[in-house]
Amino acid sequence: MTDNSTTRPRVALFVTCMVDTLQPGVGTAAAELLERHGVDVIFPEKQTCCGQPAYNAGYRKDAQVMARHFVDVFWPLVDEGSIDAIVAPSGSCVAMVKLQYPILFEATDEGYHWRAIQLGEVTYELTQYLVDFLGVLDTGAEFSGKIAYHPCCHLLRELRIDTQPRRLLAAMRDAEIVDLQGADECCGFGGLFALKNAEISTAMGRRKAHNLVASGAELVVMNDVSCMTHLNGILEHEGHSCRAVHIADLLNRRSESDGG
Amino acid sequence: MAVDVGAPYATRVRQALADDGMRTALDRATGHLKERRDRAMAEIDERRLRDEAGAVRRYAIERLPDLLEQLEANLIANGCHVHWARDAAEAVGVVLEIAREHEVGDVVKSKSMVTEEIGLNEALERSGIDVVETDLGEFIVQLAGESPSHILAPVIHKRVEDIAEIFRIRLNTPRTTSPAALCAAARRELRNEFLVADMGISGCNFAIAETGTICVITNEGNGRMVTSLPRVYVAIAGIEKVVRSAEDAVLLWQAATRNATGQNVSVYFSMSSGPRRRGDTDGPEEMHVILLDNGRSRILERGYADAALCIRCGACIDICPVYREIGGHAYGRTPYSGPIGAVLTPLLDYDIHAARDLPFASSLCGACRDVCPVKIDLPRLLLDLRSVVVERGASPVGERAAIRAYSTVMRRPAPYRALARLAGWLGPLAGLLPPLSTWKRDRGLPRFAARRFGALWRERVRDEEGAAG
Amino acid sequence: MTYDSTEARGAILARLRHTLAGPRPIFRDRSEPSAPPTVPTAVTRADGDRRSLAKQFGAQLAEISGSYEILEDAAEAGERLVQLVKEWSAEMGAGAGEVPEVLSWAARALPGENLAGFLEESGISFFVPEDLHDESTRARAARAKVGLTGADAAFASTGSIVVASGRGRSRAASLLPLRHLVLLPMSRIYPTFEDWLHTLRQDQALGSYLRVSGQIVFITGPSKSADIELNITLGVHGPRAVHALIFDDAW
Ligand code: SF4
Repeated sequence: MTDNSTTRPRVALFVTCMVDTLQPGVGTAAAELLERHGVDVIFPEKQTCCGQPAYNAGYRKDAQVMARHFVDVFWPLVDEGSIDAIVAPSGSCVAMVKLQYPILFEATDEGYHWRAIQLGEVTYELTQYLVDFLGVLDTGAEFSGKIAYHPCCHLLRELRIDTQPRRLLAAMRDAEIVDLQGADECCGFGGLFALKNAEISTAMGRRKAHNLVASGAELVVMNDVSCMTHLNGILEHEGHSCRAVHIADLLNRRSESDGG
Repeated sequence: MAVDVGAPYATRVRQALADDGMRTALDRATGHLKERRDRAMAEIDERRLRDEAGAVRRYAIERLPDLLEQLEANLIANGCHVHWARDAAEAVGVVLEIAREHEVGDVVKSKSMVTEEIGLNEALERSGIDVVETDLGEFIVQLAGESPSHILAPVIHKRVEDIAEIFRIRLNTPRTTSPAALCAAARRELRNEFLVADMGISGCNFAIAETGTICVITNEGNGRMVTSLPRVYVAIAGIEKVVRSAEDAVLLWQAATRNATGQNVSVYFSMSSGPRRRGDTDGPEEMHVILLDNGRSRILERGYADAALCIRCGACIDICPVYREIGGHAYGRTPYSGPIGAVLTPLLDYDIHAARDLPFASSLCGACRDVCPVKIDLPRLLLDLRSVVVERGASPVGERAAIRAYSTVMRRPAPYRALARLAGWLGPLAGLLPPLSTWKRDRGLPRFAARRFGALWRERVRDEEGAAG
Repeated sequence: MTYDSTEARGAILARLRHTLAGPRPIFRDRSEPSAPPTVPTAVTRADGDRRSLAKQFGAQLAEISGSYEILEDAAEAGERLVQLVKEWSAEMGAGAGEVPEVLSWAARALPGENLAGFLEESGISFFVPEDLHDESTRARAARAKVGLTGADAAFASTGSIVVASGRGRSRAASLLPLRHLVLLPMSRIYPTFEDWLHTLRQDQALGSYLRVSGQIVFITGPSKSADIELNITLGVHGPRAVHALIFDDAW
């Protein structure tokens, strides 16, 4: 961990609208994790939503409106060199920025297309940034109990991020990581899918919940608040005690003695 | 309760989800298939196979008209009759004409989704011709009066208990749930059909342009029977099936079967290059090939050439978590289900309204893209199709308004903050409003935070500044 | 509107040409290659000398419920063949002295010199049909319990054989009976499909090989179905047993 202010990486936190409104604690945990590993974190307050809900539902024009706003908020920071990276505690929203923005602007707006590509190159998912960029191998977190890891689809299959979160979890003290059957199967969230095809979505979620219960895990860890909210809704409704948590929350959990 | 393929989408889904027998059957089967596939792929260089298989298909589609002409010329030189059909009606007409000419009374078919696509069986039956499906799964589906629910495993939606019951009722088979006994009963039943049929009809897995050869993949051997025993053989090939060479066909054959079932290759790969030659012991006296468009050239025209790469291996279907919950019939009156079905059905229908639900029947988890042997980016095609539905004004009015409102709020920070604050105040009451009321039915409700992260952050910054000052 | 194949052809090809001539790339991912290799890469692998290839072929065939034997020469293969047919017909309850009938390829289409004479004297009737569209011939062929064929090529890495239809080489012999016997000289076993295709291609023989016969079939083990809840059942339409008599034809 370095504390040399001239070389400290500067990161703009992109919390995502779901973290912002549903799980602000995840944003705080992400900020603290980054700061603890020598990062200067700023939070561009004008950020809203990346536009993925509209994009995935087919509303490209509406998605563009939001994507433009995202670019307008973050681009100047990158352009003027005041940040080195944009980091988000979400695989899905990062995938949106990195992989879908270029498609979204491709045929319609050259300027935004170019800026979106530049932005995509410096946008990272939290655990990816911690491991690949900062070289963190252990966040010093503790949890005594059984945990399962659920790789969220966009994190795993769009961003191809898998070893990073697993590694950080494996380094946690006292935690027992249990095998989760069908771990890489979708939990059923899928954005608007969860509403438009609510019955299928919940059927998929129940299958995941069933596997979770069978795994004996007390907590299931993941990198997206969206899937987490969906799964917690199912787990709660089905009366299971297992709960989904965001990985930032867990990795930021430290014992009292070495806290602070 | 079975799924009524003619019912509206929401009804089909509800029926499917309520069909516990079907869901059990699907569960047993898809899990198994996935395992087999994983094991088989671990034995080889999967990356290379996908690279090469994809390249072979891209090469062919980029040169489609030239290869089709070459195919046609070679088929004719080999003694085949070639017919071009723009749509289902033309293709069906050609088959009926051939049948009339040869006074055909009995037809044996090997499993072919393209004939399902054009409704060939119904048309033949209307003309008083008996049609027997000879693939075991398809035979069972035909006995049950249903349609296939999977492009490769037509009866994947039925448990062995259900199948035994169908055999008992329709074939008078003694009560048994032994697959071997059921299979033997089908063999006896169908063997006679093969021997007496006047005409055999198959689809086509690959058509080799260089040699004028129609390739048919089967495991049971019915494909060989159909292409060998009757006097007249008709192959129906979608125009996208053409490939350059035998090498390319053999490569795709391996890619398709390994991906579909985990076998190295299927038991049989029949390559027919024409009718029986002079002095041959057996084989058809006439071989006809129907080159069918039925929306395929439009698929290319509309920018969906990627979908034409598909070699119908079924892997995307087996791995799809949505398919596993609802099965093939929930996709409606189409032989193509799962992710590729959700892409092909609306495209082939040409009418986006007719299939506007299917592109949304996916959580976009991406599992299909990762298994596709020709690397079709199915989620991307689904996303593109969704945008077409929206552009054409075919999406629900309420949804449209909600998304519009959402984007209006999200484009500026102030209204966004105000709304977030409101949601925080409302707390659990927010669940009474749509769309969260939909969410709520089988799920506990998400709780909006009393104070959003942005507010917490501002406070923190203020504290720090205070401490510093 | 009356149907006209030529008109349909013109319309289809024109639309395709129009689309493909457009300025836009037709596939979404432009980084994917669209040039397949000219020499195909083998998907499965096998190597070694003739004996070892024969063993690998047999092992693969056994893996998929087929069976095999490796014999010293054609004569031994012939003897074994006769013995097997007699054993099987006894098993299948043929009465004593009853002559079992084998649906066979013509002797000249079978591999192995002098085999024809030997088989003729074996006491087994080898039925070589002339025209299977003839009712009584077809009925007789359909009764046969054993089929006998040769093979043009075989592949060690998968346990597959290739048979081509033709004069004296019925498709039915490898298809209708419950058991299929294959006489396979070692010299015809290639490591992989790709090796064989490559050899034919280099000899400029691939095109004519495929076109000269009405049908070429790759056979990989006995007929099977997995349609009933993915239970593998054998012999659903084609043979339930495929047995390869591999013999050394080196001299
Ligand atoms: S889309 Fe790909 S995975 Fe799906 S059936 Fe076609 S080739 Fe197979």
